[in-house]
Amino acid sequence: MLSFPFLLMVSLAAGFVGAMSGMGGGVVLIPVLTFVGLDIKRAIAASIVSVIASSSGAASAYVRDGITNVKVGMFLEIFTMVGAWTGALITLSINERTLYILFGAILFVCWGALWIRQNRPHRSSVQDRFSRWLELEGHYFDKATGEEVSYKAIRAYWGGPLMFLAGITSGLLGIGAGAVKVLIHDLVMELPPKVSTTTSNLIIGVTALAGTSVYLSKRLIDPLIAGPVILGVVAGALAGTRVLVHLKNETVRKFFLLVLAVLGAEMIVRGWRGA
Amino acid sequence: MYGGGEVPSPAEESSLVRMEKILGAILLSGVLASVSLIAAGYLWRWLRTGQLQLEYALPGSNLYQFWVNDMRQAVQGTFRPRLLINLGIALLMATPYARVFFSFVHFAFVQKNLKYSFFTLFVFGGLTYSLFF
Repeated sequence: MLSFPFLLMVSLAAGFVGAMSGMGGGVVLIPVLTFVGLDIKRAIAASIVSVIASSSGAASAYVRDGITNVKVGMFLEIFTMVGAWTGALITLSINERTLYILFGAILFVCWGALWIRQNRPHRSSVQDRFSRWLELEGHYFDKATGEEVSYKAIRAYWGGPLMFLAGITSGLLGIGAGAVKVLIHDLVMELPPKVSTTTSNLIIGVTALAGTSVYLSKRLIDPLIAGPVILGVVAGALAGTRVLVHLKNETVRKFFLLVLAVLGAEMIVRGWRGA
Repeated sequence: MYGGGEVPSPAEESSLVRMEKILGAILLSGVLASVSLIAAGYLWRWLRTGQLQLEYALPGSNLYQFWVNDMRQAVQGTFRPRLLINLGIALLMATPYARVFFSFVHFAFVQKNLKYSFFTLFVFGGLTYSLFF
């Protein structure tokens, strides 16, 4: 069942859906790979390598366009890196049933994040001393509105520790956990939505690398799976990004809310029944 | 020196913009080269044997050994499909690592920003440590 063409097609679809939703391919890829019989820990390991590719590819364009806030990213990476190690080590020590249930639960958290994010306008509060000391402010040119947007991040003292939890999620489940990171940027640090999404992409690469090193040391990264998965996810993400600009935000959101709910419920049920 | 939370000067702003351009280039070239190597490895395999399936384990018991092994084989010129695939995977893993290293160099020696030199050095040190897990 796990032939090269099959893995390539599944990863292509996962990368496509992941890019359209902004959540990365892992949330779709891992449930599908486990559904066709792959051990969940190997699926997580293959997924986390592909996350490096898709997030770095996306981040490259956003960083060059000056939308990403590099300083926010560099500060928060400290926490996500340590979180990813912790998460990957937890994965190695817990049983598969628990992993299935955790994965399903995190998909529902992502569902909530997507729901909250789309229903909340961006606010702008007064910057606290710690965030000012960290130089967490910036500006970018918004091509959609033709305006220069200036902003100041706040509550970095909460953003850091919460990012540690996002890092645990990423390392534990082999996903970028972009939805969780974006939610922290949005709700806690009050970054503008575009800065929030693009900075999350930058952070995901380092977070995924930290997790990858743990899985590699346990020989869970199988090139037979990782090779086609990397190719498929990158190609799918490229295609998804191009299609995304032609679709209405609301259509994409409704579609992905449905996908997350179905996959989340399916993973929890499989974990409950013993996979 | 810019590092006290004050508003950046135009010179510091342009230095940051330059840094962003270089970071973007590192990420893009890393991913493109990595995907090209993996695709070339599979194409070579398919042209040589008529099939794409490859069953082997990644060499080395940690990321450092994996990189060293691949580089040694590449230097020795023992090219074959699986080495290209391994080099692609290794390069992919090296991409965020290189990005963090460059960020450290920029903050430390170009911007002379002590805080962010420390932050990036911490992440770089952490990632270096994880090479030997």
